[in-house]
Amino acid sequence: MSDTLIPDSPWSAAPQATAVRSARDGMQVEFVGKRGALFWLALKTGFFTILTLGFYRFWMKTRLRRWYWSAIRPGGHPLEYMGDPLEKLLGFFIAVVVLTFYIGIVNLLLMFVSFSVFNSSWLGYVASFAGVIPIWFYARYRARRYVLARTRWRGVRFGLEKGAWGYAARALLYWAITILSLGTLWPRMTFLLEKYRTDRTFFGSARLVQGGRWQMLYRAAVPFIMVLLGGVALGLWIAVIDPVAPNMWARLETLPEQVVTAMGLGRWPTAWQTPERLWGIPLVLSGLIYGAVHYRWVAKRIMANHKAAYGITIASRLQGPRVAMIYVLGTFISYMVLILGIGLIVFLSLIMYGQTDWLDPGKASGFSAFGDLPRWLSFTVLGVIYLSVFLMWGVLHNTFVTFPIMRHMARTTTLPLTAGLPAISQRDRDAFAEAEGFAEALDLGAAI
Amino acid sequence: MSLGFDGMGSAFFEGDRPVAEEISLHIASGILQIGLDDGRILRWPVAEVRQMPDTAGKKGAVLRLRSDPLARLFVTDLSVLTHLPNRHRRTPPKGRVRLAAWAVAAVAAVGLQIGYLIPLLADNMALYIPPAGERALGEATFGHIREALDDTGLNPVPVCTSQAGVAVLDRLVTQLGTDRDFRQEVSVFVLDHEMVNAFALPGGFVVLFRGLIDAAEGPDEVAAVLAHEIGHVVSRDPTRHALRSAGSIGVLGLLFGDFAGGAAVLFLTERLISAQYSQGAEAGADTFAHQVLDKAGISPGALGDMFENFRRKHGDRDGVSAHFLSHPALGERIAAAQAAVDVDAAYHPAMSEADWASLRGICD
Repeated sequence: MSDTLIPDSPWSAAPQATAVRSARDGMQVEFVGKRGALFWLALKTGFFTILTLGFYRFWMKTRLRRWYWSAIRPGGHPLEYMGDPLEKLLGFFIAVVVLTFYIGIVNLLLMFVSFSVFNSSWLGYVASFAGVIPIWFYARYRARRYVLARTRWRGVRFGLEKGAWGYAARALLYWAITILSLGTLWPRMTFLLEKYRTDRTFFGSARLVQGGRWQMLYRAAVPFIMVLLGGVALGLWIAVIDPVAPNMWARLETLPEQVVTAMGLGRWPTAWQTPERLWGIPLVLSGLIYGAVHYRWVAKRIMANHKAAYGITIASRLQGPRVAMIYVLGTFISYMVLILGIGLIVFLSLIMYGQTDWLDPGKASGFSAFGDLPRWLSFTVLGVIYLSVFLMWGVLHNTFVTFPIMRHMARTTTLPLTAGLPAISQRDRDAFAEAEGFAEALDLGAAI
Repeated sequence: MSLGFDGMGSAFFEGDRPVAEEISLHIASGILQIGLDDGRILRWPVAEVRQMPDTAGKKGAVLRLRSDPLARLFVTDLSVLTHLPNRHRRTPPKGRVRLAAWAVAAVAAVGLQIGYLIPLLADNMALYIPPAGERALGEATFGHIREALDDTGLNPVPVCTSQAGVAVLDRLVTQLGTDRDFRQEVSVFVLDHEMVNAFALPGGFVVLFRGLIDAAEGPDEVAAVLAHEIGHVVSRDPTRHALRSAGSIGVLGLLFGDFAGGAAVLFLTERLISAQYSQGAEAGADTFAHQVLDKAGISPGALGDMFENFRRKHGDRDGVSAHFLSHPALGERIAAAQAAVDVDAAYHPAMSEADWASLRGICD
């Protein structure tokens, strides 16, 4: 594909990612902006979101994106996010109108068929979930198209061509192939889906091209494969070659009970052989998580290094271990701050009001000598606390996970070749009535 | 008077090519003058200049002219900002009518679904589900509930099966079926759990808790509760309810998105709606119980006694929180039960003292 001619292009050959690198017109991506500023912005907008029962979330998302985009500055000039909260709200309404009939009626019919024909409900649940999957991929592509259409750099718009259903069909096909191949063709799926999106991405009039081959992504999967092999070896060792529990396979059903008893006693069951080996299981599991994070981000790096437009190349020095460290530390810090914060709120309210009644679940659930008003109040208080915990989680996740990842991504990216920039011109505005409404309605909007 | 600004690092983007043009910046007589390298000077009236909001960092600001959607001015000398009086003024939103129309459409679509279409479809479909399907659904749900009620989650709460007690329950169901034999439709189980409760499941499962039998002040009260639950079975309320929530929970899930995890809000809203659905169903089951009890020669007032008993122990649930519970306020239901008592009729107890003792010992 990388040698074929690109449609509507004045050039006779496709751009090459491995073009001659000239240090002279290379461009470094800078990242400005302080963590504290982002924290306050996220806190403020999150607070408004709670006050408005969730409606401000469209503004919150817009403002956070504006901030992140403007922090990323290739060649010192900020990206610009031009999304409009009102168009997001409109898109959300459109998506609700379209999807509500599909989901309500279809779910009901599926349940009916599932009860009457198959005498069980789980088939209905599976079918209703499966029915949403194509829409899910469709919505993801549309959301990306919207975000790119509203992103500018140096006054020039990015863009993504239409093709959401094509994307959904391919995603389903590649997923099926991946599952049938027991995951061994996963890199092929990653690469082909990214290529589908990248080859339809524009900066102004310049089309981006994804070069390279899918086999190159196996390099990113090396840690995952190693841990997986280690895990299989460990499993064989503790379950087959030298079983931890005697007669484990004959008395498999007693195993959970033994573990529960052992946990109660605080030591391993006496009959078990060198049970310390079991500590290998959590080790392997965390290794697998690391492997997955490493694959995801290093694959991004490898593919970024093979993206190009005429006279423009991209180079990334993103580090998998660094990203994994950000995830681990960021999640840990977020949890710690969250727990400390909740503890502080509870502690302060105890001191200030000396009121402990609403903490008592028996009373809060309404069975006590409470009148109606205090119970109503305690529900409200509990509701506000519940929402505040979610708010704080979002704020902290933005501050300690999204921010450092964005910063790392920006600072490790360069544009070694930018000679093609003067040949690029503006592209038309993509009107896009429903914005990212489908993604929002289907709960895909968690990411920035 | 003319003010000059430091143009070092500043750039102008005309909005067509992604090329930075070096500039010099002046403000003279209310006009921001942008001098380009080729000698052109762009003139932006200061009142028409807007600053892009939510910009990260203190290095540089992005400015635009109100009437030009594309051209951008990137300035590094931030002292220019103080001379732009309207830089934070917002553009009035466009397409408000369209937005309002779609908002109304969205609310109407959800309201139509949850308030009308889904209940209508569910009520009709419930009549067409074959008995075997209903039975399987009820069995599965019963299993889930038994597992969920156990604290450890490992051992499902046992069903009480003392022979004498089961025989008494069986006789009671026969006795209630004066007009119509319920024994084919209804299977009654007692769960060994201290909760004071009873419920009906699709497929004719009626489940009483041991706590309810213990709390009852006589056999009539148990008979009344049983009659009430049989009322649900006969009108197929559990099946309708299962279908309704299958439809409506998906629709509600759309609305709340990922705001605050959604799940808790979803759960509460679903409770609120299903409570609305079933307040009618509860009243219907009460009326059914009054008739059945009266015909079987048991005082319908027993249902009221049970509620009175319940209220003494747990308090009434009038008011705000009553909306979150599926039962209508107890006061109304007690009054209804008492009104159903025929003062001339000769009522007798639902069972003998010996049978009542057997029933109370069903879990031993």
